[in-house]
Amino acid sequence: MNDLSAPAQPAHIELDAIDLAIIELLRKDGRMPYRAIARELDIAENTVRARVRRMEESDTMRVVAVTDIEAAGYGMLLAIGVQVEGRAPEAVAREMAAIREVFSVNVVVGAQDIEILVVAQDQAALNELITDKLGAIPGVRRLTPALALEILKNQPDWVPFHAA
Amino acid sequence: MRRKLDQADAAIVERLSRDARVSNREIAEQLGVTEGTVRARVKRMEEERLIRITAVTNIDRFKDAALAYIWIEVERSGQTRVIAAKLAEIAELGFVGVMLGRADILAITMVRNAEHLAEFVHQRISVIEGVRGTRSTLGVNFVKHDYRVARIVN
Repeated sequence: MNDLSAPAQPAHIELDAIDLAIIELLRKDGRMPYRAIARELDIAENTVRARVRRMEESDTMRVVAVTDIEAAGYGMLLAIGVQVEGRAPEAVAREMAAIREVFSVNVVVGAQDIEILVVAQDQAALNELITDKLGAIPGVRRLTPALALEILKNQPDWVPFHAA
Repeated sequence: MRRKLDQADAAIVERLSRDARVSNREIAEQLGVTEGTVRARVKRMEEERLIRITAVTNIDRFKDAALAYIWIEVERSGQTRVIAAKLAEIAELGFVGVMLGRADILAITMVRNAEHLAEFVHQRISVIEGVRGTRSTLGVNFVKHDYRVARIVN
């Protein structure tokens, strides 16, 4: 998406059945040609082009390359629960979001205040991330990590665009 | 272990991670390589499951959408993989992982609200044979998700 040509605050658009059908096809193959999409849905190629453009410009959908964590050089993925004390969880969450290896940050309700997903190259890098970076953030009381031994499914289809 | 992207692959992926609808020709021109090189490398990376080119949608554009973390404990440790495989078949789950610590399995999904989450867990997860118990956490503010990295499975 060309951010320079996009309006600062794109208008909210309503998606209809055609939009959703296009998204469904692009989820399976992001580089499916416009002509093939048109044929599949029995609509004009120009309609497909216009719909994709409208969804991209309104910041509703993006077609992107997702890199495998191992191919990106990371050997480990962890889900870490964060308990916060004496500081707004949102403020701690934003500070964590600025760290590259922290790829997902959610402020939650329950036993934890924040749930984050992190990647690390190896055990030494993980130790540094948890002890020196995450543990040192003001307001962090306790980090409760779980290591993913095997990931059977990971399709980040719905995500916030603003922080990506 | 999957191979790490080399420098030429990484340059192509960097371009595609911003907008994957860009043509191979345009990438080739920007990187000073041939269109055939770009096409072959993209094809190879997809075949080796190093990258996946896909549409992602903005969660902020959907009304009443919250992320839910569902931590699952199984009856016997030996059942973990079988149960995780069953969970992976549930279309609504975006993440399923066998975990070390906190619980046996973590599943992540998008729900409308707490009632919807309770209904989903009750009707779709607790009914799976061997599921001993679940603990769920509902997201109230999705601050970040870098969709450019994920574990590519299929």
